[in-house]
Amino acid sequence: MAAGGAGGASKTYSFKVVLLGEGCVGKTSLVLRYCENKFNDKHITTLQASFLTKKLNIGGKRVNLAIWDTAGQERFHALGPIYYRDSNGAILVYDVTDEDSFQKVKNWVKELRKMLGNEICLCIVGNKIDLEKERNVSVQDAEEYAESVGAKHYHTSAKLNKGIEELFLDLCKRMMETAQADERAKGNGASQSSTSRRGVQIVDDEPQAATAAGVGCCSG
Amino acid sequence: MQTFLSGQQLEGSGVCFFGLKAILSSSTVSALLPARSPPAPSSPASREMSQKSERRGIHVDQSELLCKKGCGYYGNAAWQGLCSKCWREEYQRARQKQIQEDWALAEKLQREEEAAYASSQGAQSQPSLTPFSKFEEKKTNEKTRKVTTVKKFFSPSSRTAPKKALAARLKDSHEGKTPSPSISRQSSIETDRVSRDFVDFLKTLQKPGREIHKQSRAFIEGMANKKDLGADELSECVQDFYQNMSDRLMTHFKGSSERVERVMDQVEKYIMTRLYKNVFCPETTDDEKKDLATQHRIRALHWVTIQMLCVPVDEEIPEVSDNVVKAITDVIEMDSKRVPRDKLACITRCSKHIFNAIKITKNEPASADDFLPTLIYIVLKANPPRLQSNIQYITRFCNPSRLMTGEDGYYFTNLCCAVAFIEKLDGQSLNLSTEDFERYMSGQASPRRQEPEAWPPEGPCGGSSPGLAQVYQNLELLTGLEARQERVLEGARSLESDLISWQESVEREVQQILEKYPLEIRTPASAIDSDNVENDRLPPPLQPQVFAG
Ligand SMILES: Nc1nc2c(ncn2[C@@H]2O[C@H](COP(=O)(O)OP(=O)(O)O)[C@@H](O)[C@H]2O)c(=O)[nH]1
Ligand SMILES: [Mg+2]
Repeated sequence: MAAGGAGGASKTYSFKVVLLGEGCVGKTSLVLRYCENKFNDKHITTLQASFLTKKLNIGGKRVNLAIWDTAGQERFHALGPIYYRDSNGAILVYDVTDEDSFQKVKNWVKELRKMLGNEICLCIVGNKIDLEKERNVSVQDAEEYAESVGAKHYHTSAKLNKGIEELFLDLCKRMMETAQADERAKGNGASQSSTSRRGVQIVDDEPQAATAAGVGCCSG
Repeated sequence: MQTFLSGQQLEGSGVCFFGLKAILSSSTVSALLPARSPPAPSSPASREMSQKSERRGIHVDQSELLCKKGCGYYGNAAWQGLCSKCWREEYQRARQKQIQEDWALAEKLQREEEAAYASSQGAQSQPSLTPFSKFEEKKTNEKTRKVTTVKKFFSPSSRTAPKKALAARLKDSHEGKTPSPSISRQSSIETDRVSRDFVDFLKTLQKPGREIHKQSRAFIEGMANKKDLGADELSECVQDFYQNMSDRLMTHFKGSSERVERVMDQVEKYIMTRLYKNVFCPETTDDEKKDLATQHRIRALHWVTIQMLCVPVDEEIPEVSDNVVKAITDVIEMDSKRVPRDKLACITRCSKHIFNAIKITKNEPASADDFLPTLIYIVLKANPPRLQSNIQYITRFCNPSRLMTGEDGYYFTNLCCAVAFIEKLDGQSLNLSTEDFERYMSGQASPRRQEPEAWPPEGPCGGSSPGLAQVYQNLELLTGLEARQERVLEGARSLESDLISWQESVEREVQQILEKYPLEIRTPASAIDSDNVENDRLPPPLQPQVFAG
């Protein structure tokens, strides 16, 4: 079940999180480090790194986390909305040595807020902090930007396994809060599950127009 | 050749393309043969016809044209070689039989299901699920909520009013198809098996099994009266049903979502196997139109290479090409499944084969950057049947929890992305100039291969590449076929004119005879025997004589 969609005592939350960002910023490395604790390892046993899951237990509540990798090539940019619909969270990754990749993150934020509103928990992640000497995105700029759009900022290194556990744990807690707030807003548990129905709730009268606009503004 | 083969003329003939039989089944010629006309074996025209055809080397056995029932009338390939009258009788009989069998099967099933429950209920009287009416109430509340769904991304027009004309046309085309009794037979056997499995499964649940069964049946019956609803409403009904059912199961199983999922899978299988025929690619949507558009689009993109898409698989490695073939087979197989979850499973199997191919090629786990282009490549190579209809069907009728966060859902989403990419792709997305892209699309040019030595060829059947030799051989074969096709067409045309001139000649002959022996109707003379020559030799009429006495 989705978005906290479970009733009764032993509640299990299921969350969908998408990884977005330019190619080569380290999306795949981050998730492989988190789920397999491996980096650039030729002996990785997993067949694929595009869909990975992780089970967590947070404050006695079970959480099933599904992490969706997305194709980062520019030619696939317009497909974003198909990937991130239904998402409870989005991890927007940039490479701290690459200013361009940070610009891309800004474009994603704009698009996501436009399409999904505040329902989605946004994380902005500056990866490769082990390359501090080559840093091209200032910490202060990045953190201020994140705050201005209601996102949280994290510093990570997939190579050194830094900041990754914290990133995912924090994100899960925030998504649980959102789900619980949702439940409360919808009253008792009876109608809560209707949220989980068939996924996306785009509370927008013209999702088509919004898609077109969102894609348009970011492809430029 | 193109135009001849692409028409519906060959539909259903199944016999050799170049035989006269196939031509006679074509609408043009069979229209010339009246459906029920007695043959005229000794007429001069038919003799002339058979002489002509022999000269062209085409021989028609008169018996092949006659009704297979031997009633003496002409048959027609469209009616499986029967004449119209015999065909109607035959078809009615088959239909009647089918209907009776279906009824018998339905009754048998009902009895079995009732019996199964009577035996399992007997001793225990356990609490069943909460009554349905409560949930009906909730359902109507929910309906008023504004919920925009996934479907909107894919079918912007599905909510617009159904296009009457198109629907009518689709309807015609559906009804035009002669139903194949063997196919419907097979599907009813499958439905039968699924129902039995469902009952068997529910028996293991004991307590709520009967209730689930009752509600599922009631739902299917209710849906039978809702055939006129649009696709979105049908989807809404099914999704509401899933929702209500899983809510109640959730309460019953005290929140164990795994157990709920297991039951819901069975429920989905049972109801969707039965609803499939009415809700897959319904006439109220333009699903079928989109299927055709996508199919044409993929065909037009036949020139796209693995390099243009940057697909990270090396098909030179046998194990890799093996996985590629399996992936293609899996995605094609999706169309043959009736349950949404089974269709999803095909996509998942396809994806696993793609991952294998990537892992063998790159020796590292595939990321989305590798996976999506490869999936696009597989879809382009497979050109899966009714791709849009299948995607819509899954989106509308799959149990939502599977589509949203599960692994199957991820692969399905990527398939949706692949289709969206294929629909929209332009020169830029393949790293081509707009001009090159246009030229390849219009077929004016085909992209040069990466290896210059393989292209251009030295000459026909140039020894360097076996593939090229094969291409030339095929081209030659095609040219030969085209010539033969032309000859056959010519034969058909002259047969047509023969038949027309035969008809004309008969008319002429009749006319001539009529002219030669005009029918004269003379007006009768005043006295009955006024023209009678013999009258002269008759004795004079008797005169009255008077006898005295
Ligand atoms: N130094 C350093 N390199 C990294 C880090 N994370 C990823 N990389 C490298 O960046 C490149 C791209 O990583 P990848 O995970 O494939 O990026 P993706 O395209 O966003 O999925 C690879 O060569 C990685 O080894 C990191 O934290 N530090
Ligand atoms: Mg990657």
